[in-house]
Amino acid sequence: MANDRNSFVFRLLLTLFVILVINFFLPRMMPGDPFSTTSADEVGEEIIVMTEEQRLYYMNYYGLDRPLHEQFLVYMKNLMTGDLGRSIYYKMPVSDVIILHLPWTMLIVLGSTVISTIFGVFLGTLSAKNRKKGSDRIMMTGMIAFAEIPSFLLGLILLLFFSAYLRLFPLAGAITSFADYSGPAEHTWDILYHAFLPIVTLSLSQLTGVYLLTRNTLITVTTKDYIRTARAKGLGEKTVWTRHALRNALLPVVTRAGFMIGIMMGGVVLVESVFSYPGIGMILRCAVVGRDYPLIQGILLVIAVSILICNLLVDKIYSKLDPRVAI
Amino acid sequence: MIKNVNVFGYAGILSYIQALNINIIVSSIVTTFSKFSTEGKIGVLGIICVILMAVFAPVITLYPPQKITGDSLEAPGPAHILGTDELGMDIWSQICYGARMSLTIGLAVAFVSGFGGGAIGILAGYMGGHIDQGLMRTIDVTMALPSFPLLIVISAFLGPSILNVVLILILFSWAKPARIARSQTLAIKKNNYIIAAQNYGAKPFYVLWKHIFPEVMPVLFVLVIGISSHAIIAEAGLAFLGLGDPTSKSWGMMLNSATGFSSIYFTPYWQWWLLPPLFMLIFLLLCLAFISRDMERILDPKLKIKKGF
Repeated sequence: MANDRNSFVFRLLLTLFVILVINFFLPRMMPGDPFSTTSADEVGEEIIVMTEEQRLYYMNYYGLDRPLHEQFLVYMKNLMTGDLGRSIYYKMPVSDVIILHLPWTMLIVLGSTVISTIFGVFLGTLSAKNRKKGSDRIMMTGMIAFAEIPSFLLGLILLLFFSAYLRLFPLAGAITSFADYSGPAEHTWDILYHAFLPIVTLSLSQLTGVYLLTRNTLITVTTKDYIRTARAKGLGEKTVWTRHALRNALLPVVTRAGFMIGIMMGGVVLVESVFSYPGIGMILRCAVVGRDYPLIQGILLVIAVSILICNLLVDKIYSKLDPRVAI
Repeated sequence: MIKNVNVFGYAGILSYIQALNINIIVSSIVTTFSKFSTEGKIGVLGIICVILMAVFAPVITLYPPQKITGDSLEAPGPAHILGTDELGMDIWSQICYGARMSLTIGLAVAFVSGFGGGAIGILAGYMGGHIDQGLMRTIDVTMALPSFPLLIVISAFLGPSILNVVLILILFSWAKPARIARSQTLAIKKNNYIIAAQNYGAKPFYVLWKHIFPEVMPVLFVLVIGISSHAIIAEAGLAFLGLGDPTSKSWGMMLNSATGFSSIYFTPYWQWWLLPPLFMLIFLLLCLAFISRDMERILDPKLKIKKGF
């Protein structure tokens, strides 16, 4: 088992390394170098044409003439010290840009993890209790069909219906611009009001997974002997379900919630673009449009690392929750 | 029996088998379709509709998709069935030609990565040893990579073109079929009839092609449908972010240009500009999902039992 655990951590580290290598080599695989072309931003500004000497000087200055493995070591050293380079568009360090926008992403990702877990467990229990009845079949077919709609299309539908057609919710942003809040309560309300539709979209896209998992594990658990024992002892139906069945069925749901965060970190880019929600997904879109390469790389790294951390945490939590795994 | 073989000769048997195969394929398609549930049948019909739309796009549309044929942002009417976009291009033709785009990308990615990945998996499972171990590690890492963010970054660096999108999608979707084909091969390999065939002197290639591949094939086919819907979503997502091929008119590109149009939500334009591609994408994905669920159910009798309890 210890061996298994080590190989799991090793696999995560290997994955991280592959991402770093891709991140490092992609810009260097592109034709040309940063000094072969120069452009003038403003009208009237002189276009600087570098002489060969100047070009060599700058290549030397930025360390681009050194062998690749040395460059890679420097890159790794910079990463370790939290230096992700400078964003071309925002004109400030990439790490600052990300820190500025990460909380918004965390808010909607964590919010929808909590909401989809609660609702998924609730609906799954309901479905498991009524299995073999019509309501279970209808619910299951509906949920499965629902799961096939990708989150950004779902978000677009919600946005069109609730914001554009009914005008109930804001079309973009995370807070009202230039708002003057009378107190923290109003501030919180405004944030929740703006985050509502993105959270609903992400929750709906994850709901089916939790629902199916809860339903199926509950159905498996209820065939176990200890449930029959509990019923034979004369426990009420409510106690049997909550204390005996649900408690055992929730274990996989906890791990599922952890993986969900990882999945959503990947999908959040599109959902944030749909709602123009200023998280890291939205700035990734801006960075792509503006070809802001350092920022793109930084965001990729943050998303990848957070997914890997989630997987690692899930693995740790699971062995804590289920003693059978740790043996 | 043996005498018979001698009389017929090798060529005779071969042609007989081929004829039989075609008959089996046709009858298996018919029986499979009759086993489909109502949802599955709807799915198949829906896909056929989309395919017809894509194939006969020049016939059923009045205008080429990338030509300015009307006023800017015309509402749906007799001249333009679904209206026009901001440049005055017909939306109905864009939808029809966009179907070509989505289907081509979905099918290309699914077939190459499904059967290519499957072939790699079968080979590795059959040969075992270091090759197998190396492949498994590669698959583990490929499956752990956050595919969509990486897709965005790679296509941002490589530049927007359909070929790039297809290649990157293949790069990220071969691992799952390879893994499943490998585990299937490992299970089949131990069967007595395979060992018997090997003892009779069957070459590895013959065993793979005649015995293992036909067994793994149905599972791969279900995976191919899954991958194709995944590829369609990914292409639409990339195009929606502005990373699609700007010269092509895919449904994702239509969503991108419509949502990129400033103040689209404050005008009625979204009703005929944004809704059609949105509806078509969801329709296509639902059809594919229905089919793949039904195929899964038909191919795996164990699932039926599971559904019962």
